[in-house]
Amino acid sequence: MSAIDHYLDAVIRQGEAEARHDGSAAIEAHHLLLGLAAQQDSAPGAVLAAAGLDRAAIRAALDREFEHSLSTVGVSPAAFALPSPTPDPDRRIGLGASARLALERGFFHAPRKRDLRPAHLLLGILEAELGTVPRALTLAGVNREELAERAKEAASTADW
Amino acid sequence: MPDVPEDPADALAAVVALRRLADQLEDAAVEQAMRAGWSWPQVAEALGITRQAVHKKHAKRLIAAGVTLRRRT
Repeated sequence: MSAIDHYLDAVIRQGEAEARHDGSAAIEAHHLLLGLAAQQDSAPGAVLAAAGLDRAAIRAALDREFEHSLSTVGVSPAAFALPSPTPDPDRRIGLGASARLALERGFFHAPRKRDLRPAHLLLGILEAELGTVPRALTLAGVNREELAERAKEAASTADW
Repeated sequence: MPDVPEDPADALAAVVALRRLADQLEDAAVEQAMRAGWSWPQVAEALGITRQAVHKKHAKRLIAAGVTLRRRT
C-alpha cells in the first residue's frame, strides 16, 4: 500500500471508532473530519488546529449542532436521561452517503491517485454546503470557505 | 411546542438529529430492559419489530456488556 492508502485507512478506521462511539450505523462525513483531526502530524490536522479545531473542539461543535437541530423541533436530548448504552465492539460500520460524497469530492481534486494528499480529503469534507459538518462549523463560528481555502493551499504546497 | 422550523435546512437537520437520537435511545432502552430481566420477545413486541431483528441488532453488544440474557423462548 502507498503512503496515501495507509493514511486513508487510518482516517477511516478512526472514523469508524468515532461512529461506534456515537452508536451510529454508518461512518458519516463528520466522523471522517474527527478522523482527520486525530492525525495531528498531517496537513489537515495542522489546518484544523490553526482554526482552533482539535478533535475535542470538533466534538463539542457537533454536540452543539445536534442539540440545536433537536431544539428547532422542541426536543432536548437531556430529557432522555437513560444510562449510556454499551457500544457493540463487533458491529460492522460501513461508509455512509455523506462520507462517500466527501471522499469523492476529495479524490476529484487529484488528477491522479499519486497526486492525492491528506489535505484533499479535508477539502472534500469542507466543500459540503449542506449537512451536519457545515452546520456544526457555522455554529462554532468557523468560516468554512476560508478553512477550505487553507486546505486547498496545504494540498498544493505541503506534501503531507 | 415550537412551530415547524421555517428554514428547510433546520427542518431537515432536525430529521437527521431525531433519527440519531432515536437510535441512541433504542440502544439505551433495550439495554435497560434486558438488564431488568425482560425477554427478547417482550422487547421486540414493545418496539413493534420482530424478535429476530432485535436479537440480531443487540445480542452481541449486550453479551459483551455482561448482561445476563434470558433464553429466547
